Amino acid sequence: MKIVVCVKQVPASSDAQIDPVTKRIVREGTRAVLNPFDTYALEEGVRLARQLGGQVIALSMGPPKAEACLREAISLGVDQAILLSDRAFGGSDTYATSYALARAIDTIGGVGLVICGKQAVDGDTAQVGPGIAAHLGWAQATYVMKVERADKDGLRLRRMNEEGWDVVEVGFPCVLTVLKDINQPRVPTLRGVLSAMEEQIPVWTPADIGADTGKLGLDGSPTRVVRTAPPPPRQTASKRLAGSPAQVAGELVADLRTRGIL
Amino acid sequence: MQSMTNMRDHIISRRYQVELGPPRQDAPDLRAALDQFAQRYRRVLDSGYVAGITDNSMGLLAFQGTETIIELGLPVNPGQVMIHLNTFHTLENLHQILEDCLRLGIRQLLIISGDGSDRLPRLQPEEVGATQVAAVTAVELLAYIHRVYPGRFELGAAFNPYEPREHELDKLARKLQAGASFLITQPLLSKNAVVDEVLRRYPDLPVFVEAWMSRRISLLSEAVGYEIKDDPSFDPILTLKQLHRDYPDCGIYLSLLGFKTQYDLLGDTWVTRHTEG
Repeated sequence: MKIVVCVKQVPASSDAQIDPVTKRIVREGTRAVLNPFDTYALEEGVRLARQLGGQVIALSMGPPKAEACLREAISLGVDQAILLSDRAFGGSDTYATSYALARAIDTIGGVGLVICGKQAVDGDTAQVGPGIAAHLGWAQATYVMKVERADKDGLRLRRMNEEGWDVVEVGFPCVLTVLKDINQPRVPTLRGVLSAMEEQIPVWTPADIGADTGKLGLDGSPTRVVRTAPPPPRQTASKRLAGSPAQVAGELVADLRTRGIL
Repeated sequence: MQSMTNMRDHIISRRYQVELGPPRQDAPDLRAALDQFAQRYRRVLDSGYVAGITDNSMGLLAFQGTETIIELGLPVNPGQVMIHLNTFHTLENLHQILEDCLRLGIRQLLIISGDGSDRLPRLQPEEVGATQVAAVTAVELLAYIHRVYPGRFELGAAFNPYEPREHELDKLARKLQAGASFLITQPLLSKNAVVDEVLRRYPDLPVFVEAWMSRRISLLSEAVGYEIKDDPSFDPILTLKQLHRDYPDCGIYLSLLGFKTQYDLLGDTWVTRHTEG
């Protein structure tokens, strides 16, 4: 069975900017990193492939420089990486992006499991994973925090909900989106990074995946961002306590009791 | 077992411990960073000094010293390489590093609690048989390595004279109890009363005082716990010589050494009460 892990290159959170005119994230000239949630998806993909047998493929859509996040995926243990890159993909919203990724997964063939991070930290929509499942017509389990069992028939999963968590079973093929709780991602080894630097990463265009270009890019994206606004600043206050350790501890406890925290 | 150079020998033989950081994971030019590491490493060994190789220093992701030595095919002269090892590893990874050390002939390990980050796993108490603690610190890691690899390594501990005195002295006693047989201090800029107390309590313990070789002493603020402002008159080489005078029976660990501007000056710096007559 092939396992596809979808990854995205995102601006480093400290560098993220919104274009005031287009309302889109400015990606040019910013430091780019692998979406942090995707490292958990990659780790789970590598672990499940070891357990169930099979191959792990990292898949990303983005500009040519997004290749860097695929090299990082290779250094973390995936067997192969594929980049979807073409001007026709530019400006795609989550609907068009998930369509393109679904077409690529269909083109790869033999895929039984797709794993995505919960969301990308730039758009924060958490829509692409479910979108891929919808386009493929596969089962999906979102906000997965633990794989309780994995065998050839499917997975037994613990997924987070508003009250806590529930347990679901899902057969293959399926799509998962995963939380940080699911594992502790490995750190790339030097050997892994050096071999990833040498890897040839195929770049696929819409033609390679048999995509309808009318469903890609801005034309294929029903989303319209009409306005963006920064969230109101959080009300915070700080207080510095002075005195001996016993005095400071006493004052702190009294303050926390007053606030009902203790 | 291959014979090991005792840390005491480094003091007697006036061998500096020179801190080296392996390339960071986010190095913009990894190959250049590897070349620089290899050059510095060889230079330290060729000088007869000891390379002290850090482990994700400050919680910043870097490659491991052992994997870097293996990948670059660097030589390991007995006693001339010391690996820092902290608690931010998986158990599997920890054993991989220890086995690599044994295979390479590296016997000296500096065991520290270390600085974590979101991307680094941390050893769990049950993994190292530490059932009485909530988190693994250098004490538990020392005890674990001492127990699982008896006699295979010479284990060292860090000592921070800027922590509350009794707390740090108590922690030191536990580190020694757990298997530490040498000590490296946090950077000293001058004689330090707490370090003096350590030397009084443990006269036979090989102690290495850390010399801060960067001119930017403000960077030390985090280690000492209070703000230190940069001082244009601060001269690391003069301070190093003074540390030799203040601690003639200790070894010296050099951090942030300038390889271009300071390295060639080191030959004349090991002044002791003996050399000064």
